[in-house]
Amino acid sequence: MTGGEMKGPTWASELGESIPEVLGREIDIFETQMELRRRGEVDEKLFAETRLRRGVYGQRYDNGHRYDGERNRQLAYREHPTKGVDTVWDAPGMVRIKVPYGAMTREQMDVLAALAEDYADGISHVTTRQDIQLHFVHIEDTPDLMRRLAAVGFTTREACGNSVRNITACPLAGVCKTEAFDVSPYAEAAYRFLLGHPDVQDFGRKFKPAFSGCAHEACGLVNMHDGGWIAKTRMENGKVRRGFAFYVGGGLGAIPHPAQLVDEFVTEEEMLPLMQAVSRVFARLGEKDNRGRARIKFLVAKLGIEEFRRLVFEERAKLPHDPRWTSYIPTVADFKETPVKSGAPLAPATNGEHSAAFRAWYKTNVLPQRQAGYAVVTIKLPLGDITSDQMRSLADIAGEYTGDTVRLTVEQNMVMRWVREADLPRLHGALEAIDLAEAGAEGISDLTSCPGTDTCKLGIASSRGLTGELRKQVMELDLASEPALEGLRIKSSGCFNSCGQHHIADLGFYGISRKKGNRLVPHFQVVLGGKWLENGGSFGLATLAIPSKNIPEVVRRVTSRFVKERSADESFTDFIDRLGKAEVKGFLQDLTEVPPFEQDPSFYSDWGDPRVYTMDDYGEGECAGEIVPLVEFGLQASEREVFEAQLFFDADDYNQAKDMAYRAMLTAAKALVKTEFLDITDDADHIVREFRARFHDTKRFHDKFAGAKFANYLFVAHEVGGNGGRQDQAKQRVQEAQLFIEAAYACYERMSTKEATA
Amino acid sequence: MTAQASRVDALSSPELSVKLFLKDGSKIDVEELVPVFHRWIREDLLEDELPIDVAGYAHVPKGPGTVIICDHAHYYLDERAGRYGLRYRGRRVARGSGEEAVVRAFRSVLRAASLLEKEPELGGRYKFETGRVEFGITDRIAAPSRQETLAAVRPALEAALKTVYGKPAKSLALASGAREPFLVAIEAGTAPSVDALLEQLTAAVR
Repeated sequence: MTGGEMKGPTWASELGESIPEVLGREIDIFETQMELRRRGEVDEKLFAETRLRRGVYGQRYDNGHRYDGERNRQLAYREHPTKGVDTVWDAPGMVRIKVPYGAMTREQMDVLAALAEDYADGISHVTTRQDIQLHFVHIEDTPDLMRRLAAVGFTTREACGNSVRNITACPLAGVCKTEAFDVSPYAEAAYRFLLGHPDVQDFGRKFKPAFSGCAHEACGLVNMHDGGWIAKTRMENGKVRRGFAFYVGGGLGAIPHPAQLVDEFVTEEEMLPLMQAVSRVFARLGEKDNRGRARIKFLVAKLGIEEFRRLVFEERAKLPHDPRWTSYIPTVADFKETPVKSGAPLAPATNGEHSAAFRAWYKTNVLPQRQAGYAVVTIKLPLGDITSDQMRSLADIAGEYTGDTVRLTVEQNMVMRWVREADLPRLHGALEAIDLAEAGAEGISDLTSCPGTDTCKLGIASSRGLTGELRKQVMELDLASEPALEGLRIKSSGCFNSCGQHHIADLGFYGISRKKGNRLVPHFQVVLGGKWLENGGSFGLATLAIPSKNIPEVVRRVTSRFVKERSADESFTDFIDRLGKAEVKGFLQDLTEVPPFEQDPSFYSDWGDPRVYTMDDYGEGECAGEIVPLVEFGLQASEREVFEAQLFFDADDYNQAKDMAYRAMLTAAKALVKTEFLDITDDADHIVREFRARFHDTKRFHDKFAGAKFANYLFVAHEVGGNGGRQDQAKQRVQEAQLFIEAAYACYERMSTKEATA
Repeated sequence: MTAQASRVDALSSPELSVKLFLKDGSKIDVEELVPVFHRWIREDLLEDELPIDVAGYAHVPKGPGTVIICDHAHYYLDERAGRYGLRYRGRRVARGSGEEAVVRAFRSVLRAASLLEKEPELGGRYKFETGRVEFGITDRIAAPSRQETLAAVRPALEAALKTVYGKPAKSLALASGAREPFLVAIEAGTAPSVDALLEQLTAAVR
């Protein structure tokens, strides 16, 4: 900016104090980390995991290559350092926004709409874990995107990477007829407690928690989560006591694991400490090297649930008390949504019957609430996609009819809660005007899909392409009008990782590839008879691999046979069980045939993608993140702080420069201490005391030639403090901090070498 | 948004957009553009662009339609607000500033429109109207959706439109609500064919 130019406003300046200080600082830190990476001063793996923990994810073709249907082409991006291993800086990526238990205010919806059109392609994509994903986002835009989210209380922090992911919950929590109690305030408390918690920073893989209000319905899907909480009550001394059945180790993926019961009744006071204890056990004993076996389900399987349980309770007993474990409990009763209108029943239509469209929608998309006169309305989003115009309009509609009561669902839909039943016809009209009044929610025409090869680096087949096609065909064939079929669920994933939750669908599909001659053919593995109810109660039966282009015929045959042959009230799961794998294979076997390319080339391309199918675009997934030891994050933070100290110095702010340089040394010292003492606090005296005892007095920090010189930089700075902002003093402190951090890295390297040798 | 925003040159934002509407009666199905756009990428038909991928949103009513995602811009055959059209949306790197940037955005959308009109697989079913277009700046800091922004950009925008059309535009009007990205409805007062306009524009900036 030259002197004559007017520096314009920025999002940081515009939003000002509406960004909470802590979040604002975190985003500034991320922006500095980006700058350090651009300068090549941060290792690419470390930056990748840092980025992932900020919700900034890779996307297909970000390795700078793309198969164009005839050949693999290099995408001529500008030269920059990478933003991860084999990940081009300028390549657009995905940003995942955590929406804890799916709850959104109108203000948040407005911001999401704006972000989708400002930084992505105009679409907000609802995931199967109640997140919002934006695609084709450039990393340079992410700090402002995060600031705008922070100003309305949203974050992308730990939406990706090896940490605690979004906390999901039943979208009907608080209004459901079958729940023990509203789990929303507990999910909120868990979200606040675990976000950025030091004990969730050293996992070998991600950890997905879920809350459910009851054991019988599907909504929370606790059975397939790393950690799950099902609300329960019991009587104690004549009083109702709230608690949870606590499960651990569930997961889908290539090999689905049902969650196992840790404790059948964990009191509300014990919910957070037990979660913290599980985190510590997982961080300490979970697999770190083999990422394919690093989810907690493998640790539980390895140890056995009894031993795992013993370790968790042993860890719980050792935890230093944290007042946050229970401080939220007195406010639980205040956690309520305030509807904008008083409840009233649906009146008969004033001039005859309601329209056919309304009746169909009412039958499938409206659920009476526990509270008389109110209903929950499900808004069916095709493939989980909603435009920015629709999102804004929906915020307006919510303002008129319900208030801040919109929630995302794990079936990639939205619900509006607290709709006055009498308003349903008008609401239906308002939703129709924005094309969001499609009937058939949570039924056979409401299909679920992960992004698959559209945008995911790990996608093998086009789950979205297939789902779009199946959706069309299911609607053309009007399968939802057949009572036996209307409630069936179809879910597809682009690969075995199960983001589309195919294992718990009636008809599930996941992408694989098969070779025919010397050509690859996109296929889907057919998984039949999974159980959605009982929190994703059981997993479907993998039957056989069918070419992608024959999957619609699979749906036609299977549903047709079910309609014809099922016994009275027999569920689809029971029907598939009764038929057995051999029979199912038998009647689908002919569909496995792939005609030669010359006879029908359509089999050699995928749904929604006319390019000749290839696996050339398959990339290194970022789901597993990078395994970066906790100490390296600490040392990286100290480097960033010393960089900021230098910036203060350059801006002639010597006082701040000195203070920041001192803090950088403290951060590096704390990172080392933490390798053997997890409960080190942020208190400077505590850090210096522990560092002195563990690293200075033992001479482990000593330099071969300089001895205790570098450690003394910290001790002196700690004693004299940050006062006095002379230029020469500040310069010296910044230089000392740089040397101290170098010494910390050297110390860490010696420790690692010793450990490896041992 | 503060008043300071209007002091910034909104047209220096890389986020300029121009939408050419399809003529009434053009018969289209945005899904049919998926193979067309993939081939355009393969054959490098979009000048000055680094195309990355095709995104398909045929399942979303009044949505982004079918999109070519490029490094510096996106090209949508979208149905926003119920009107089909080809929208150029600049991203990231500003291509000039003021009048020059607007002219470049028009040239980009006209080139793509010309390709679509001549696309053999589409059989001449895509015909664009040039007399009424939509110009936008998707940058809520530099260009909040309000009359002051229109007033600030009007001189450069009018100059650019004169270069594009060879004569002054008939009218410019704010076409977006306060929560939407800034959009201007332009009535050119003339409606030559896409190719004629492209030719005249190329001659004007030569």
